[in-house]
Amino acid sequence: MNEGFAHLHVHSRFSFMDGAADLDSLVQRAGDLGMNALALTDHQGLYGAVRFYRKANAAGIKPVIGAEVVIEAVGIPGEESDLPPEKRLLLPASVGFGRAAGRGFHLTLLARDITGYRNLCRLISRAHVRSRNEPSVVTLQELARASAGLIGLSGCPHGEAGAAVRAGRLQRARTALERLAQCFAPGDFYVELMHLFASDSPRYVAGLVSLADSLGLPVVATNDVHYVHADDFRIHDVLSSAGAKMHLPGPYDRSNGELYLKSGAEMRRLFAGLSRACDATLTIAERCILDLELGGFHFPAAEIPPGETPYSVLSKLAWHGLEERYRPVTPEAVRRLQHELSVIQDLGFPEYFLVVKEIVDFAEEQGIRFSGRGSAGDSIVTYVLGITDADPVAYDLLFERFLNPARRQMPDIDVDFDSARRDEVIDFIYRRFGHEHVAMVATVNTMTARSAVRTAARALGFSANEVNALSRHLPWASASHLREVLETYPECADHPLKDPSRALVVELAEELDGCPMHLGTHLGGFIITREPIDTWTPLQWAAKGVVVSQYDKDDIEALGLVKMDVLGLRMHSAISDTVAMARKRVGEETVPEPFGLAKDDPRVYQMIANADTIGMFQLESSGQRNLNTRLAATRFDDIIAAISLFRPGPLEAEMITPFIRRRHGIEPVSVPHPAMREILRDSYGVIIYQEQVLLVAQAIAGFDLAEADSLRRAMTKDRSREEMESIRVHFIERAVDRGVDFRVAEEVFRQLEGFAAYGFNKAHAACFAVVSYASAWLRTYFPAEFAAAILNNEPMGFYSPRLIVNDARRHGLDIRPPHVNESSAGYTIESDGRAIRVGLKDVHDITQRLLSAIECERGVRRFRDLADFLRRTRAEVQAAEALVRVGALDGLGITEEGRPPTRDEMLALLPELKAVLAREGSAGDDVLCLAPSPTQPAEDPGHISGWSTARRLSAELELLGLSLTCHPLELARDDLDLRGVTYASELHGLRDHTKVRVCGVRERAQTPRTRSGRRTCFLTLEDATGLLDVVVFEDVLGRVGDVVVKHRAYLVDGMLQNNSERGLAIIAEDVRPYTARSTAGEPIRMRRGVRAGPMGPSLGGPGAPEEESWSIAEGQAAYDARGDLKSKR
Amino acid sequence: MGRNAEIKRFDSTPGGQPMDLFQAKEGRLPVIIELLRSPWIIRASELSMPEDTGTGKRLNAPVAVAWDERRCCPSAFEFNGRTYRVDAIVQVWAVERRWWTPRRVSRRYWRVLARGGTYDLAYDRLRKCWILAGIVD
Repeated sequence: MNEGFAHLHVHSRFSFMDGAADLDSLVQRAGDLGMNALALTDHQGLYGAVRFYRKANAAGIKPVIGAEVVIEAVGIPGEESDLPPEKRLLLPASVGFGRAAGRGFHLTLLARDITGYRNLCRLISRAHVRSRNEPSVVTLQELARASAGLIGLSGCPHGEAGAAVRAGRLQRARTALERLAQCFAPGDFYVELMHLFASDSPRYVAGLVSLADSLGLPVVATNDVHYVHADDFRIHDVLSSAGAKMHLPGPYDRSNGELYLKSGAEMRRLFAGLSRACDATLTIAERCILDLELGGFHFPAAEIPPGETPYSVLSKLAWHGLEERYRPVTPEAVRRLQHELSVIQDLGFPEYFLVVKEIVDFAEEQGIRFSGRGSAGDSIVTYVLGITDADPVAYDLLFERFLNPARRQMPDIDVDFDSARRDEVIDFIYRRFGHEHVAMVATVNTMTARSAVRTAARALGFSANEVNALSRHLPWASASHLREVLETYPECADHPLKDPSRALVVELAEELDGCPMHLGTHLGGFIITREPIDTWTPLQWAAKGVVVSQYDKDDIEALGLVKMDVLGLRMHSAISDTVAMARKRVGEETVPEPFGLAKDDPRVYQMIANADTIGMFQLESSGQRNLNTRLAATRFDDIIAAISLFRPGPLEAEMITPFIRRRHGIEPVSVPHPAMREILRDSYGVIIYQEQVLLVAQAIAGFDLAEADSLRRAMTKDRSREEMESIRVHFIERAVDRGVDFRVAEEVFRQLEGFAAYGFNKAHAACFAVVSYASAWLRTYFPAEFAAAILNNEPMGFYSPRLIVNDARRHGLDIRPPHVNESSAGYTIESDGRAIRVGLKDVHDITQRLLSAIECERGVRRFRDLADFLRRTRAEVQAAEALVRVGALDGLGITEEGRPPTRDEMLALLPELKAVLAREGSAGDDVLCLAPSPTQPAEDPGHISGWSTARRLSAELELLGLSLTCHPLELARDDLDLRGVTYASELHGLRDHTKVRVCGVRERAQTPRTRSGRRTCFLTLEDATGLLDVVVFEDVLGRVGDVVVKHRAYLVDGMLQNNSERGLAIIAEDVRPYTARSTAGEPIRMRRGVRAGPMGPSLGGPGAPEEESWSIAEGQAAYDARGDLKSKR
Repeated sequence: MGRNAEIKRFDSTPGGQPMDLFQAKEGRLPVIIELLRSPWIIRASELSMPEDTGTGKRLNAPVAVAWDERRCCPSAFEFNGRTYRVDAIVQVWAVERRWWTPRRVSRRYWRVLARGGTYDLAYDRLRKCWILAGIVD
């Protein structure tokens, strides 16, 4: 008996929440079952098509690309309108996810060839992006117009014919089949038979066969595959339930779990009397001869003047740029440019460079700050075209790392633009290339431990609160490690998922690992095509309201399309703002362009070496500050090294320690071969940069740079022991042939092998270092402007605005509270750069309308008092109350006592004033004098607000998220002194290994991956005098993990580490929560309140408690305090 | 005769008409199977479509089933002390329900013709046993 069969209706996980088949498993299983062809027909799109195409081809299985689309009803409109609802043929539930969802009957489409593929892309795109509001449904008209090259199958039981047969409406089914068949070329439409092994399946199949026979249509057997193995039905049920926001059994209420990838024998047994239906699968698979021609390149059209070629234009621009960049032009630069241009020409990439050049030229003309990044910095062509700013000749950057002539790969030039003006660049791209040729790249968001738990719990019918509780405090980890996380992570010590009754949630969540949830939008990736883009990729609306491809960046690259990363960098905005503010204050000529500076200012390097780098690009994180002190940078190369060393790879390979020890002469610089000495001179014999791997391979084994790059890539990927051994033998043979000693060659290879996977791209670091130096220079010479610019461009960088403000105050800048008569929307500079005025935009509850009204009215005249403010701005009560509470109306108006009203008095008067305004349309100017409300006596009569320092601070933290008055721990200084706390500013003066106790508010807590796999928590705390870097190793973390997670201010006991080799840090031995109290006994707020959102803590607002469990913190702190006091006495 | 005596007395088989459409079991069987498998006929018992078994009078009685290895289907079963030889397999289907609850059902059903009746035999995959799940029509 012939057991050949090809599954032609297969959903993968890319049917988003209605498919549980992982592509790898699918292809593997089809191979195991001996199938020669396999289709992929996800709902409403081709999301997984390219990767499926590649995987199937690699496995020797013929991929058939298709989709199950939603199509409008064939039935004549109005035909059923007179029938009672229960007699009408109901539309199936909506399928597809997010903006691609559509409700209608299902139809399976398969691409027979490239024409069919392009038509399928176009058909899907039209259905999705036809209009923003209409559901995604293919019309019959469009189908008929674009059916060339497509094979249609009538669909599952949710197809119109299938649904009609199930409902016993045979005439309706007949009409549907007839009309659908008319949309396709003769022989290209099949009646799809699904025997789903349910009690009504034989009748369903027989009904359709009879109709097909009477219409003369061929039949084909499918199984509506939604998962690979028979046991996987549970995950499919969970996904479809969660996707439809229902509890199990979900929207389909399936009676069994038979939608798996059945063998040919099983399928033929199901269709025992219908072998022609099974044979048809093979015929169709044979007819599908789609070739996506992967490996080619398809560039958008650059602007080429008549008589020129892309190469001639590029060449002219590059030589012109060389003269601009190199004065004088050096032979080395000329040689490199010649070489690079010839490689670019050979690879056929000139147009790509010209397109990027056009885009950056536009930014340049418009004064939009930008910088190229990534391996593009390795090229002198990008440098002379003005795309990147780091000189590749000066910094030993290698072109082959960017474009390897031996590997014809699409070049990738990433450019960061001023994020505030990135939209202008995007507008230009759409205008220049046309909306039909541009779309954004998608990202596929997959499930992590937290989202998998939420999905499983929702499907199992847990309430929203239970779902929140089950997913809370789960770290950012893979769902497949959920059990391990629960058992080993201290913050999960008493996690509700550990309850045995929740075992099913954990089990299902683990199985959901990595499952695509929905399509996202790449941060800045644009596809630009020469032909209309919907002939290459299906499009749809993204949640953000932009048109996005259904393919991610890897798929786009595989198709050979051009992806341009137009990324927004807020540091560019901050630098531009700083320069603008500084030029406004001190004059245009006094402030040079920071990117063009000579990078040799000792004051800048001193500041970096002192770790005084908060706000500086790439140099500010706690680990980076620690490295800055150890490195003691004195030149630009050191900044490049600093950026490169503090990366996951070098950190994991522990490159920092030998680098620092050798730099400071603690250990000698040694290299296995003298030829490496010069190559590794700047990094003291340690291989940090990928470029160095290439140079070493060239120097020792005589590889050319292209070969060397291929070697580096080979060593970077996961290789079998045998493959690595063959690479090793090849390397050593080549080295020995050149006269290198065998043992030396072995040692060199060992080092390359060890570092190749961890090395960092020097060009990328060099491009970033240009921005870092510019930010460092601005912070050194214009600290107020720089801090204000950072605050105006938040969120950015490593630290919260609260810390930026505290840092500015510690540097002697006066931080002034927001005021309706002084503040703009953003942060501004006052007193000739010695003060920062907080802007009004960050005050909670303030609206854009109110901001505009304040600025507009203040232009007429300053506000006199609260009534005047309310009358002229019509401020909402909540906003007015917030402004009063943060002191934005302090000092305005006068009371009967001849002094300005206190904040309490204004707050008491506010409702009355609003009532008067509402009633009479205006309130008298002297309301405050006429109707003073009785309030409590001022807490602090010496301050204009009448409020105590603690209360002012609390309001600032609650409503602005900033501590303007002082650092909160400043108010607890007596208590801290009593507890023997050492302050951040004192740590430098203490000896290594001193036992210390510090207290700080948590700014960041990081647990990066370490090579050993052990968890170490790096806590960045802040006290009134500066930052504290605390290291909590795994043994201590096991004890204090829940304290770290659940509280925000801690007392830390530990050992001080203060040496040039390791830098300054506190190695924690104990971490306890700390609650400071005001004199009135109230807890002092340490930071903005944090509300518990569905995915964990979210931004708080007025009234949000600061701590989730303040009472526990208080209890522990009180106990500790008693113990401490006792011991002190 | 009780009530409706007239109706009960009515002779529905006038003289000359054969008493039975099928004179022998062999002649009747193909017609019954054809009717049971027919997509056009809906049996009364199927109108309600109970959740688990699909049809008929529901039972849950354990039965001993003889398995035909070659054809992969039951060949006979014992019920109430009698052996029922399976004359024909009418239909096979699977049920997988409520897997997330303790009341999970995971069965494979065979609707068989035996001794002139239609029976639903089910293999319970969780308890690894055979049951007579229903007697149909």
